[in-house]
Amino acid sequence: MSDVIAKDDLLRLVDQWLAEGKRVLGPVKAGDGVILYAPLAASSQLVLEGFVHAANSIKEAVFPRSETIYTYKFNGHEIELSDVDPDSTQCIVIGARPCDAASLPVLDHLFNWDYKDKFYNARRAATTVVTVACSEYDDNCFCTSVGLGPAAEQGSDAMLLKAPDGWYEVRAVTDKGTALFNGKTTPAPEIKVPISDGPAKKFDTVDIETFLKNNYESDAWRDITMRCLGCGACAYNCPTCHCFDIVDEGDAAGGRRVKNWDSCQFGQFTVHASGHNPRAVQAQRQRQRIQHKFRIYPEKFGAILCTGCGTCTRNCPVSLGVLNTLEAIAAVARGSIEVK
Amino acid sequence: MIDQLRQTCRKLLEEGAVKVVIGYGQDKPSMMPHPVFITKPEECDRLVWNDLCFANLAAYITRKEIKALGKPAVIVKGCDERALVVLEQESQFTRDGIYVIGVACTSLPASGVGNPRAAKCASCAVRTPRYADVTIGEAAVGSSAVGSSSCSTADAEFAQLDEFMKKTPAERFAYWKAELSRCVKCYACREVCPMCYCNRCIVDKNRPTAIDTSATIKGNLAWHIARAFHQAGRCVGCDECTRACPAGINLRLLNQSLAKSVERAFAYKAGMDKETPPVIGSYSLEDKENFIQ
Repeated sequence: MSDVIAKDDLLRLVDQWLAEGKRVLGPVKAGDGVILYAPLAASSQLVLEGFVHAANSIKEAVFPRSETIYTYKFNGHEIELSDVDPDSTQCIVIGARPCDAASLPVLDHLFNWDYKDKFYNARRAATTVVTVACSEYDDNCFCTSVGLGPAAEQGSDAMLLKAPDGWYEVRAVTDKGTALFNGKTTPAPEIKVPISDGPAKKFDTVDIETFLKNNYESDAWRDITMRCLGCGACAYNCPTCHCFDIVDEGDAAGGRRVKNWDSCQFGQFTVHASGHNPRAVQAQRQRQRIQHKFRIYPEKFGAILCTGCGTCTRNCPVSLGVLNTLEAIAAVARGSIEVK
Repeated sequence: MIDQLRQTCRKLLEEGAVKVVIGYGQDKPSMMPHPVFITKPEECDRLVWNDLCFANLAAYITRKEIKALGKPAVIVKGCDERALVVLEQESQFTRDGIYVIGVACTSLPASGVGNPRAAKCASCAVRTPRYADVTIGEAAVGSSAVGSSSCSTADAEFAQLDEFMKKTPAERFAYWKAELSRCVKCYACREVCPMCYCNRCIVDKNRPTAIDTSATIKGNLAWHIARAFHQAGRCVGCDECTRACPAGINLRLLNQSLAKSVERAFAYKAGMDKETPPVIGSYSLEDKENFIQ
C-alpha cells in the first residue's frame, strides 16, 4: 500500500508550512548556479531534482555556523550575563538526500555525550526531515561503502520517491513524518517506486579501520595529502563534521558568546596557548580528519562519522576529500601503491 | 605536448636540477586534474595537461611542507606565472631557487555545463608564459601569444564589472549582502590564493580579535573586505578563489573592482611585467603625495 502526493500539492504544502511560520530549508539555486541547502522564502525556489547533491549539507538546521549561547553587558565593574533560549522554531527540511538525513543520528551521539547540548537538542526536536530518495548518483557518491544507500531511512522522518507523471510516493518513517503528511496524500496501491542500487562499493570500512589502527605514523599520510591546502571546504560542508570554537564578540558595552564552526584542517585549530602546535603540518591534520571519521568516532560511538555523500570531494579545490583519500589508502593497504 | 612535458620533468629530476616537480595529475578520469608532487623520474608519467588544469600551482611554493622537499620545478600557465612575478617582487622566493616550466594554453576550456567558472580564460592576455625557464606548447592561433602590459580599462576583461558598476550603490550593497550571506568562512578562497601567504592571517588573530570570526553578515563583510584590500595591486586574476568557493560567491567581481582601480590610478597590472615596480611595496622620493616623503 503506497501513498502518493502530486508535486504541485507538495509545493503547496511547502507554502503552507511557510505561512504557518515554520522555517523551511531545502535545495535552492544560488549565485552562479550552485545548489545549496538554504532557508526558503517560497516553494518556487525549491529544486528537488536534476542534481546529485547540494554543495553543502543540512547541518545548519541543527548546528548553525554561528549560534549565540549567551550575552553579556558591562555595568561599571559588574558583568551581567543573560541566557539565550535555544531556538525551537519548527523547522522542516525538504529535499534532503538520505546521506544528509543519516548524519543526524550520528551527530546525536556527540551532542548528547558527556554534555547535553541544549541548543542542538532543541533544534533537533523541532526539525522534521523529508528526504528524496536518490535516483541518480555521481562518481563521488559512496553511500554504499559506509552502509547506507539511495533510500537509506536513517534520520529521515519521511521519504519521497519520484514516481512517474509528477507524483511522489511518500513513505512515512517516524511519527513526525506521519503527522506532517497526514491527510495530504492519496492512496495508490499500484505505485511502488523501485529503489536504485546506488553507487558500487568503493572500499571496505573494516579494511580502512584496520589500516588506520596500524598506520598512524605511515608516510602514506604525507604522500596522499601533500596537495591539501588546509581550507575548510570539506569540513564546513560535511553533514557530520561538528567541531566548533567558542569566542566572545562585542565591544566596551557588552557582547555575546558565540559557538562557531571550526575545522581540524586549519593550522590554528590545535595551537596551544604556549604557541606549540601538536599538529604542525597539514598531513597530520588530514590524518586527524580521516582517523576521527573512520576509527575514533566508531570506537567511541559505534557509528562511522561519514555518510558517503561525497560533498567534501566535490568541493575540494584540489580533488582530495574523503573518497579520494580513502581510495588512495585502500590502494596503499593493498600494496598497489608504494609509500615513498 | 604531454610527452614533451613529462620528458622535460624526467630530465630535471634525473639530472638532480630539481628535487620535486609541482604539476598536475589525474588519478582517475572522473576527477578534476589536481596538484601532484613528483620526486622520482619514473613517476613523471603521472603528469597530465589539459584545459581543466585550473589550480594555480604557484600557491605551493611558499608553503613549508613543499619547501621542505627541496628545489621545485613548478608548472605554470600564463596566468599562474603572473602570480610568480608578484611573489618574486615580494621576495617570497629567489628566481634561481625554483625552475619554472611554462605551459601554453593551446585551447580554451569549454564554458557551460560542468565548467562554469572559467570566465578568466575568455579574456586572457597571457596564454603563453613569458619568464619560464622552458615553455611547452604554443598558444592557439588567434590568441595573443604574449601578454601586453599596457593597460586598457575598456578591456573585455572588465565587461562584467562595468555592467555591475552601472547599478546604484544601494543595489550593489544589496547584491554583496546576498552573495556574502552564503559565506561560511571555510577560507578556501584564502588557501588557494598564491598571494595569501601570511604566516598568520589577520582573521586568525584572536589576542585580541581583529575581525569577527562568526559567519554573520558583519563578520563576512569584514573578512571579504579585508581579503580584497590585501589583494589590491597584487591579485593577478587567476580566479582560483572564485573556483574554490563552495558557495559560488562571485569573488572575481570584487577582485576586478580593485584591479581596475589600481590600473586607473597607477597604470599598473599585477604580475604583467617583472621590471615594473609593484604598486604596493615600492617607494619613490618623487611620489606626489607628501605623507610618504
